[in-house]
Amino acid sequence: MAIPFKPKAGRRATRLACGETRREFLWQAGGGFAGTALTYLLAQDGFFGAQARAASRTAGGAEAASPLAPKQPHFEARAKRCIFLFMYGGGSQVDTFDPKPELNRRHGEPMPDFDADPLLAMRRSRLGGLLGSTRTFKKYGESGIEVSDLYPNVASKIDDIAVIRGTYADSFAHGSGLLQMNTGFIRQGHPSVGSWVTYGLGTENQDLPAYVVLLDHRGGPISGPPNWSSGFMPATYQGTQFRSTGDPILHLEPPEGVSREQQRQQLDLLSKFDDLPGGAAGPESDELEARIASYELAFRMQQSAPEAVDLSSETQATKNLYGLDRKVTEKFGRNCLIARRLVERGVRFVQVYSGGGHGDDTWDAHGDVDSNHELHCAETDLPMAGLLSDLHSRGLLEDTLVVWAGEFGRTPTSQNTLGRDHSPRGFSTWIAGGGVKGGQAVGATDDFGYKAVENTVHVHDLHATILHLMGLDHTLLTYFHGGRDMRLTDVHGRVVRELLA
Amino acid sequence: MRSVPAVILMSAASAVSAAAAPDFAEDVRPILARRCFACHAGEMRMGELDLRTPESIVKGGSKGPAVTAGSPDASLLYRRIIDQSMPLGEEKVSADEAVVIRGWIEHGLAPVPPASEAQPAASAAPEPARPRIAHWAFTPPERPAVPEPAEKGWAKTPVDAFIKSALEQNGITPAPPADRRTWLRRAHFILTGLPPTPAEAEAFLADESPEAYDRLIDDLLDRPAYGERWARHWLDVVRYAESNGYERDGAKPHAWRYRDYVIEAFQKDKPFDRFLTEQLAGDELEGADAESQIATTFLRLGTWDDEPADPRVDRYDQLDDVLGVASTTFLGLTIRCARCHDHKFEPFSQKDYYRLLAVFEPLKRPQDKRRDLDRLVGAEGELAAYRTAMEKADQAVGRLKRDIGKTRQAILDRLFEKAPGGPEDLSFLNHAETVLAFRKDEKQRSDRQKELVEKFETQLDTAILREASGEEAAKLGEWNQRVEAIEASRPAEPPRAYIWFEDTSIPPVTRLFARGDTTQPADVVFPSTPAVLGRVPLDPDERPMYSTGRRLALARWMTAPGNPLVARVIVNRIWQWYFGEGLVASENDFGVAGERPSDPELLDYLATELRQSGWSLKHLHRLIAKSAAFRLSSQWDEAAAARSMNKRLVWRWQPRRLEAEAVRDSMLAISGSLNTKRGGPSIFPELPQAVLDGQSRPGLGWETSEAAEADRRSVYIFIKRSVAVPELEMLDSPDTTSSCEHRRVSITGPQALTFLNGDFTHAQAERLAGRLLREAGTDRPSQVRLAFQLALNRPPTADQQQEALRFLEKQALQVMAETSAPDAQAEANLRALQAFCLVLLNMNEFFYLS
Repeated sequence: MAIPFKPKAGRRATRLACGETRREFLWQAGGGFAGTALTYLLAQDGFFGAQARAASRTAGGAEAASPLAPKQPHFEARAKRCIFLFMYGGGSQVDTFDPKPELNRRHGEPMPDFDADPLLAMRRSRLGGLLGSTRTFKKYGESGIEVSDLYPNVASKIDDIAVIRGTYADSFAHGSGLLQMNTGFIRQGHPSVGSWVTYGLGTENQDLPAYVVLLDHRGGPISGPPNWSSGFMPATYQGTQFRSTGDPILHLEPPEGVSREQQRQQLDLLSKFDDLPGGAAGPESDELEARIASYELAFRMQQSAPEAVDLSSETQATKNLYGLDRKVTEKFGRNCLIARRLVERGVRFVQVYSGGGHGDDTWDAHGDVDSNHELHCAETDLPMAGLLSDLHSRGLLEDTLVVWAGEFGRTPTSQNTLGRDHSPRGFSTWIAGGGVKGGQAVGATDDFGYKAVENTVHVHDLHATILHLMGLDHTLLTYFHGGRDMRLTDVHGRVVRELLA
Repeated sequence: MRSVPAVILMSAASAVSAAAAPDFAEDVRPILARRCFACHAGEMRMGELDLRTPESIVKGGSKGPAVTAGSPDASLLYRRIIDQSMPLGEEKVSADEAVVIRGWIEHGLAPVPPASEAQPAASAAPEPARPRIAHWAFTPPERPAVPEPAEKGWAKTPVDAFIKSALEQNGITPAPPADRRTWLRRAHFILTGLPPTPAEAEAFLADESPEAYDRLIDDLLDRPAYGERWARHWLDVVRYAESNGYERDGAKPHAWRYRDYVIEAFQKDKPFDRFLTEQLAGDELEGADAESQIATTFLRLGTWDDEPADPRVDRYDQLDDVLGVASTTFLGLTIRCARCHDHKFEPFSQKDYYRLLAVFEPLKRPQDKRRDLDRLVGAEGELAAYRTAMEKADQAVGRLKRDIGKTRQAILDRLFEKAPGGPEDLSFLNHAETVLAFRKDEKQRSDRQKELVEKFETQLDTAILREASGEEAAKLGEWNQRVEAIEASRPAEPPRAYIWFEDTSIPPVTRLFARGDTTQPADVVFPSTPAVLGRVPLDPDERPMYSTGRRLALARWMTAPGNPLVARVIVNRIWQWYFGEGLVASENDFGVAGERPSDPELLDYLATELRQSGWSLKHLHRLIAKSAAFRLSSQWDEAAAARSMNKRLVWRWQPRRLEAEAVRDSMLAISGSLNTKRGGPSIFPELPQAVLDGQSRPGLGWETSEAAEADRRSVYIFIKRSVAVPELEMLDSPDTTSSCEHRRVSITGPQALTFLNGDFTHAQAERLAGRLLREAGTDRPSQVRLAFQLALNRPPTADQQQEALRFLEKQALQVMAETSAPDAQAEANLRALQAFCLVLLNMNEFFYLS
């Protein structure tokens, strides 16, 4: 859905493309003040300026054609598209993918070394002793990975899935936690993963948004749109909210009483009015033409977007696969099915939320972890398994990355007797599909499932791995902002090799 | 006036290597400033001791010399520090600091800095403490001679002389001037963000006097719309928003007062040095008042997480935001990048960052746990008078209420005597709980007690009035009247503002954090400007009673004559807001890695001119808006373009898209529904449900304003960090998490959808159609002509007129075919006209400023 016109920001964004290495080298070689002087000399030479101009000139080719035109990855991509299933509220690892017999054995006892974690100690008054899990775990698949009875259908796909048991994040709060899982930073203002991916790769279908967000029927997540914002990048890369019923996109349909034929006439008149005698000249001509094209694109989107969410052409079997025939799974299942239809049509990045609004409408199980998770797992289990099966049978799973994560996990200790509090110190996430080595559980938490202790995977590492699978090097995917090259992974991140096929 | 004996300096040189010797200006003075100056400096010389210069320290006070060079243990200054008898109070000199002072005395008080009483360091021109890097932007601008272009008569203001000379040097012929209509629209949009009305256009086009152009500029600069338009530019730079972001995205109470402050500052042409100083330190200025304090809202507009993952990290994130916006806005520097390590591209060390951080570290945030608070603002005297008046009124009312209470109690007692157990209608008083509730002091009643009192109060009052004697009734009446009179005469509450505060002149210790990690505090640092900019200390000798004065010292340094950056950075922004791009194209980055100015002499001319004019921005406006450069047409010329390539010379007008606000405001203006009401709390236009659904609590914090309010200019729309107004967001309204130097221009399908199908454009199209009917009647050709005049200030071309008429006919027929209304023809005509208006409002020519 991009228009053949390069946004202004590109001027600065592209200027580092190849200057980077040389400059880095000079900096390291010089070091300290000498390095500064060198940098200065380069600037005197017009080094930076020349780089900038060269970059924007070469960008006059394919890249300048459209900010969302498909772009070559840094290296061969294992996954061409990504579906990110976001379990908002924070699911409990010890009740789903991370069985802890020791926790059950010591149920009711105080957690040892409780105060060793200052942030946990701060919340001490809210927390009770260790709370054993009431779930039963079973080994599944050839890999024999244990999954709880909350996720029987997902468990049946375990050989396609790589569970990351040692995931950890930095924030105990939903707001900053969501921001971090989505943008890498706990501070607001950074582009989301989907924005980085579309910035890096563009999209395959210009008639649909490159990056779509499907919210839970109960509402948005805390902080709302900053979770799918493009931050300091142009709005071109931000997530577009898609609704599963009614108009999928804001303002997609003309107001009542305006027919498609009438609108066509309006567009025809507009293009006649915009047609300058002799055509426009100068750098603005690209922009003006892009604006004209944007109306035609809008007109096409009026067909392509409803078509993408129209499930009438899907067979009943497919619908059942996603649980559309059952009340509990119908809503999330519909979004999963739409997600498949979108990636099938070339959308680069789709995010599907489970949980919306607040409290037990999300995975935020402060009161009773069983009743909360029984609901949310029941809603998501069948649809997610269905999604994996469907992608597989259509040959899409091999180059579609599926990510399952929330903003954090939950404490092994109790809160309000039966509930669990937030915990970013160690929790489970999983990935499946393109380039992922399924049927394995990577990393581990401690005996109680509190802290990631083995092969730990920070959110930055998860992000680095997602980008890697999509053919992008997280250290090279940069955007110049506020005086430096910004990255999704800041100055951190490692690709978790064990996860790769 | 150096009076330190040479022998001291020699002993310093011989005793130890110079490298190890603490430097007075860099190391010692900041410690003394922080710990001792409150009592031993300037006017305040307790014990006649002045610790500001080595000379005055050697001279000492009533107890004799404060130091003996080379012998710390014999030096009174050092002994008092060590035995902790000085400074008074709980905060003592730290061990690290004592070591520095000891070292300085041991090394013979060397080297002696050139500081003197007459020139307090903080307000002096920046003297380089070490050799500067010769980056152009770090050297103060010098006024260049105005060049004389070969072609006489082209230049209208000195700006043109620079422009034309540059063009001549490059063999470029500038584009011819724009026609009067184009220029008129350009001037209106640039200066006010609104199109000229057809009447204004007619008047200007008819005025053939040579002064017509300049008169119009003066007229536009006087309009309130000018302040509203240019304030919006400034709000981009300062990351203005009215909510905190994050989970709750709570409103920043009274942040809008800052927006009004900025509008008024532009409107009244507040001198820019004053504008800068008020925003950084309006609370520290002598004679600080409500206005200057409101200005400091600037420092507090950033995002705020009311439930931070780590409160300590969060505290420094907040200060980082303040430091970042202050250094970017006024200095055009990216010092913020040096938080974790020395800057990779710029000559800023990590120490420079923390020295600047020390300026803001004393700031405290008014908050009550998760609640974000505002503060009363006003001149010290005003606030004191207000508090006194309130106390007085409280006391007087208290006394009267006591008297009233006693009298009522006496009457009540009588009532009960007459009817033991209480009269029938007062039987509720038989309940002890109720009686207790009435007896309890008003302010101390529990919720239950309040409820009881409220329930029975009227009954009780009636009974008491019935029972009261004539005298009692008169007294009660009089007292009650007096209470009312006092309440009525209470002073109006002073304004509240959303600002930080300081409440002591003793600054906190600032430490550098290794790798930016707050758990790794390292060296203590003292406030100063970056080394490359002279490392001017920013701990002032004279401090306000309740703050450190550091921010004021920073503002003084920024606005002092030798500052190389401040004037250049602002004139560059003004240029940018005219021509779309600054003379320095990286408007927020004047550093080594920033772009170089396309015309350094013009930039420096404007910078020095600004200063000479007493920092008048309107003076700059006149230089630019009245220039021949501003009159250039957008006519394209391949040869000129080729010659200007990479030099970014101004030889034509570069058309560009209007900003989101200008588009929205113009639509309102053209449809005849713009509400020009000025100032006050922000407005909440109605949003589509789909937009609110993105929130975790849909609609929270967005109480839709009534329709007339929603028709006000966009600068008055509440800026909520988690909710965007589609017609603004789609046109790239700025990101508010950090300074926005430059609006982006993105063009997308959803953007076209919003302007084609959105409620806002449709409403304006309907209103415009209504206006056309009212003002042009039912004659279609007249309607089309008026529509073009309103939207584009020109008649339609013959082709356009024809196309429009054909379109109206076709659309009307279609509507006719579908409707069965009795007045089908009128309805169809109206709907067709609305459809036509929508097309007009989507035209490139309408969206682009040429």
